[in-house]
Amino acid sequence: MDHLLTLLIFTPLLFGIVLLLLPVSLRNSFKYLALAATIVQLVLSGWLYFHFQTGASFSGINHAEQYQFAEKLSWISLSLGSMGKMQIDYFVGVDGLSIGLLFMSSLVMVVAVLASWEIKTNLKGFFALFLLLDMAVIGVFCALDFFLFYIFYELMLLPLYFLIGMWGGVRREYAAIKFFLYTLFGSVFMLLVMIGLYFSVTDPATGNHTFNIIHMMNPANYVQGSIFSTAHQTLFGFPARSLAFVVLFIAFAIKVPVVPLHTWLPDAHVEAPTAVSIILAGVLLKVGGYGILRVCFSIFPEVATAGAFWLGLLGVISILYGALNALAQTDLKRLIAYSSVSHMGFVLLGIASQTTEGISGAVMQMLSHGFLSAMLFFLVGIIYVRVHDRYIYNFRGLAKLMPAFTVFVMIAFFASLGLPGFSAFIAEAFSLIGAFTSASVNGLLPAWMAVCGSIGILLSAAYFLWTLQRMFFGETRLSGGENWRAALTDLNFREKSALIPLALMALIMGILPSLVFDKINDSVLALVHLFR
Amino acid sequence: MEQIYTLQTHSSEIQLALAAVLLPFAAFIINFLLPKTVLNKGEGLFSTVCILFSLICSCLLFAKVWARKPIHEQVLWFQIGTIKIYAGLLLNNLSVLMLPLVSGIALAVHIYSVAYMHDDLMFRRYFRYLSFFCFAMMALVVSDNLLLMYAFWELVGFASYLLIGFWFTREKAVQANKKAFIMNRIGDIGFLIGIMILFAHFHTFDLITLFNYPTNFSSSGNLSGTWLIVAGICFFLGATAKSAQFPLHTWLPDAMEGPTSVSALIHAATMVAAGVFLLARVYPVFNPDVKLIITIVGTFTAFMAATIALTQNDLKKILAYSTISQLGFMVAAMGIGAYASSLFHLATHAFFKCLLFLSAGVIIHEMQHIKEKLHLDIDPQNILYMGGLRKVLPITFITCIIAALALIGFPLTSGYLSKDGILIQAFEWAEGRSFLYQLIPIFILITSWLTAFYISRLLFKVFWGESRLKEMIPTFEYHPSKENKLFTWPMLFLSVFCLFPFFSLNPLLYEHAWLFRGFLAADYFERENIYHTIIPAAVNLITVPVVYLAYARYINQNIKWFPESGFLFRLSYNHWYIDQFYQNYIAKSVVWTGRKIYAFDLFVIDGLVNLIAKVGLIISQISNWLDKYIIDGAVNFIAFRIRDIGSFARGFQTGKVQQYLLTMLIFILSIYIFKILI
Repeated sequence: MDHLLTLLIFTPLLFGIVLLLLPVSLRNSFKYLALAATIVQLVLSGWLYFHFQTGASFSGINHAEQYQFAEKLSWISLSLGSMGKMQIDYFVGVDGLSIGLLFMSSLVMVVAVLASWEIKTNLKGFFALFLLLDMAVIGVFCALDFFLFYIFYELMLLPLYFLIGMWGGVRREYAAIKFFLYTLFGSVFMLLVMIGLYFSVTDPATGNHTFNIIHMMNPANYVQGSIFSTAHQTLFGFPARSLAFVVLFIAFAIKVPVVPLHTWLPDAHVEAPTAVSIILAGVLLKVGGYGILRVCFSIFPEVATAGAFWLGLLGVISILYGALNALAQTDLKRLIAYSSVSHMGFVLLGIASQTTEGISGAVMQMLSHGFLSAMLFFLVGIIYVRVHDRYIYNFRGLAKLMPAFTVFVMIAFFASLGLPGFSAFIAEAFSLIGAFTSASVNGLLPAWMAVCGSIGILLSAAYFLWTLQRMFFGETRLSGGENWRAALTDLNFREKSALIPLALMALIMGILPSLVFDKINDSVLALVHLFR
Repeated sequence: MEQIYTLQTHSSEIQLALAAVLLPFAAFIINFLLPKTVLNKGEGLFSTVCILFSLICSCLLFAKVWARKPIHEQVLWFQIGTIKIYAGLLLNNLSVLMLPLVSGIALAVHIYSVAYMHDDLMFRRYFRYLSFFCFAMMALVVSDNLLLMYAFWELVGFASYLLIGFWFTREKAVQANKKAFIMNRIGDIGFLIGIMILFAHFHTFDLITLFNYPTNFSSSGNLSGTWLIVAGICFFLGATAKSAQFPLHTWLPDAMEGPTSVSALIHAATMVAAGVFLLARVYPVFNPDVKLIITIVGTFTAFMAATIALTQNDLKKILAYSTISQLGFMVAAMGIGAYASSLFHLATHAFFKCLLFLSAGVIIHEMQHIKEKLHLDIDPQNILYMGGLRKVLPITFITCIIAALALIGFPLTSGYLSKDGILIQAFEWAEGRSFLYQLIPIFILITSWLTAFYISRLLFKVFWGESRLKEMIPTFEYHPSKENKLFTWPMLFLSVFCLFPFFSLNPLLYEHAWLFRGFLAADYFERENIYHTIIPAAVNLITVPVVYLAYARYINQNIKWFPESGFLFRLSYNHWYIDQFYQNYIAKSVVWTGRKIYAFDLFVIDGLVNLIAKVGLIISQISNWLDKYIIDGAVNFIAFRIRDIGSFARGFQTGKVQQYLLTMLIFILSIYIFKILI
């Protein structure tokens, strides 16, 4: 019971090792093995979610003792003589910010495995890398030691590079390299800030320098006169803490992605195989949002407050810019990729408002978008696998040909455009309400930002409904003629069993948002308290 | 679950309200879950029974709550941070009036639909959607807070989307439902911003807490003047879209692409009235400035839509513009403070407009039948192909006449009571104000005459004279067909409610109507002035010649006024060109912006990324060159020189003694000479 998180993180690795040891003659069993790994993980994270306790004494954030299922082991302990002791811990734990993301990621991983049925080549490599990625993602959400966090964070890139570059579409090499370098660009600078923080912060118990993120949140732990201490130090003429915040923010903003750092996303999403698109959109983008909350905002709250206007502005720009771009797309997958940019803009806007409503809405939006974007990419994958085309103008009247498929498309589209009853409505409404109330609560964001953000809701209706009308309604006409008509069969059992849980999650969270809010409220309140 | 008020005190009312709302939802769920083979077209019956029981519950609830203290019950829905969000029911006069109104009309439409949609392949789906709509609409009217209202507000829009595009293979239908949803979304954003403004200032969505019914909300004084005006305009924008007011009205005529029964329920009687309902629900938010805007928009919409209805030839389009016009009356009434009259007109209009649409459905059904039998290439909705239908559809003829008289506001009908109330109060409102204010009642008055004209034109063209098909096929004769009882019963049921006795025992005085009195504020006092006599008289005295004019123009054809050419005709015929304007300028410019921004994304932002990559590549190539030719070149240079020296030295290692001696001699000589020289 004490090592549940460790078990959760390393289950995929265990299965991955078993998978590597199996002979290639058993290649048909690989996908079932991966499925088993993700289902075990889902059960574990479900157990964690339901046993996650709430209350003011479990709020986490900057109180190490309030994290749940925490484990702390000394990992690297190196005596550096006069410089003290280098102390890196294996420190994992969850609070309200991460618990929902853990469950969401676990479910999305199951769906991603179900989407991997389409992979036909080099199955061993694919699933081994997949499981490695799975481990890294879960690790990021659990890690409370910056060094550990960074290792997991970088570890995500490696399998993704190969997954896109080897199993992707026509321009896979370009997309893979672009994705890899873009993300690496952000994280390299993160490394510098991490080291700077290490030398600025000491563990109050041992007096050693530490990578512990929670210690970094407490101003009392900073060494007097150190580079990131709260006294105003400068670096290259800029305030050091502001510079560190900006560097970390850029690293995470690339992941979110925040306009103008988003251009890797359409390429990577479009070229990646369905399963990887699902993970990219469903989970990877949330690492960005999570990082901003856990690292940027928690460690440098005063910089976050000072720069809130610009963060909010970037959020609004992302919402509108992503939506307008989506309006111009003719490739279904690219349209959904841009809609992700728009929807993740709500996360940034909500976070920037630093109100309880805004941050809760943003966390909700991360969960909601996790389920919905996974669903959207899965749906695109279904068409693409059947006819190897996803150009919107090549299809018309799919509703008649694939009625069950169309029902799920409508659920996913309407849920994404914020129809009440689905999670995105609550999420977007409260992100906007948070942004709007910010003017009267803490005076950070002007009211027009929320107003502009709400135009994003209008635009999302425009591009989703246009796609529905153009592709799914009307008399059936396909550019591929009879061949396509024969190939475009309706959903099979596997596809339905992947889509139904996602649709149900979006519905349940929309009708009973308390299932999410009850778990996150205390942490959000503690986080908001940090800003004062 | 936390409760604010004790459940025991009002348990029966709450249970009735929940039953009324949830019965259609149960029908939706069960129709959705049960397989086709089990129900076998029983969906229609099942949904109808559910809505019937829902109506019974609503009526019982009405009897218990009307003209009594409002009932408010809520449970905790969720908590966000420290703010608790409740979900609950607010049962006051407004909501308990809307409940039986919606379920009653829905019941009529359900029965009618069983026959109307009988041969449709998607019968099952139709009743699912219809039940879902009823649920959302009834939940909207009993919701006690703005967030819930917004949710159901969007859900009725979604149900409307599904039903407009019910025949999804028709290109026009799916264009229309997209348009309807997007235009409604514009209003929704207004609504949402309104909610945000109120939430930012009061930290609650609860209607009772916000407005503290029935006392005035602006007296709480928490909202500064500008925000109050903005909030008012935002809420009104929501109502503008849903109730199809200018400038967001263009979706409603297109929405007629749905089944006619749907048009009757959703796009005439209930959902489109939700905008007026919203105005009534948040009425205290509107300050006099906003109310003036509401009045102007409502009046203009009423007038504009009526002028468009004058020249249309599509039966359903005429009725759609008529609906827009009548909704304009209600909105204008809200603006001038005739709160009770507005809601009264909402109720009476629901009945007669629904009846008109159901009658239109029968007519279209008949024309479709003729079209298919004779293999004609005609539009069954075009009134230019009709005429003389009174002989084949006698009951429809009668119901149509009753509904049309109510629409005109003829004495003894319900419309007379409600519409004259609005007119009289409009004149009272303008009294003592400047000339510009006088325009409002004058335009309302003109609109009511225009109404008489266009509906008379419709009736005369459809029912009087001889069939226009005779001009195409001289031997054409109508075959007497029996009107389906599932059509006529609901229509007769509705026509009872188009007459005065249901609303007031006195057929001439709207002040006596129970519905009107139910919404009067406590401080209301009746003003008996000259308007109450002359306006109804003037309206009806002029209405009669207007109707005759229509008769003379379209049946006797002995006057040739209103030529079908000229600017005014084209303006009216083309719906004031508003739709074209939106299509050609606004929609296109949004798409254009999208394309341009995408190009920007592709060439500028991504271009920059690729440029950086390229610069990196070039730098690496340069460094590669430097590495190869300068740095490695230097290394190689040294290495090669050393090798050369080595080779040179190796040249001496020949293995011949003579050569070694010679070398030694040269070496010794060299040292010797070197010594001497130094």
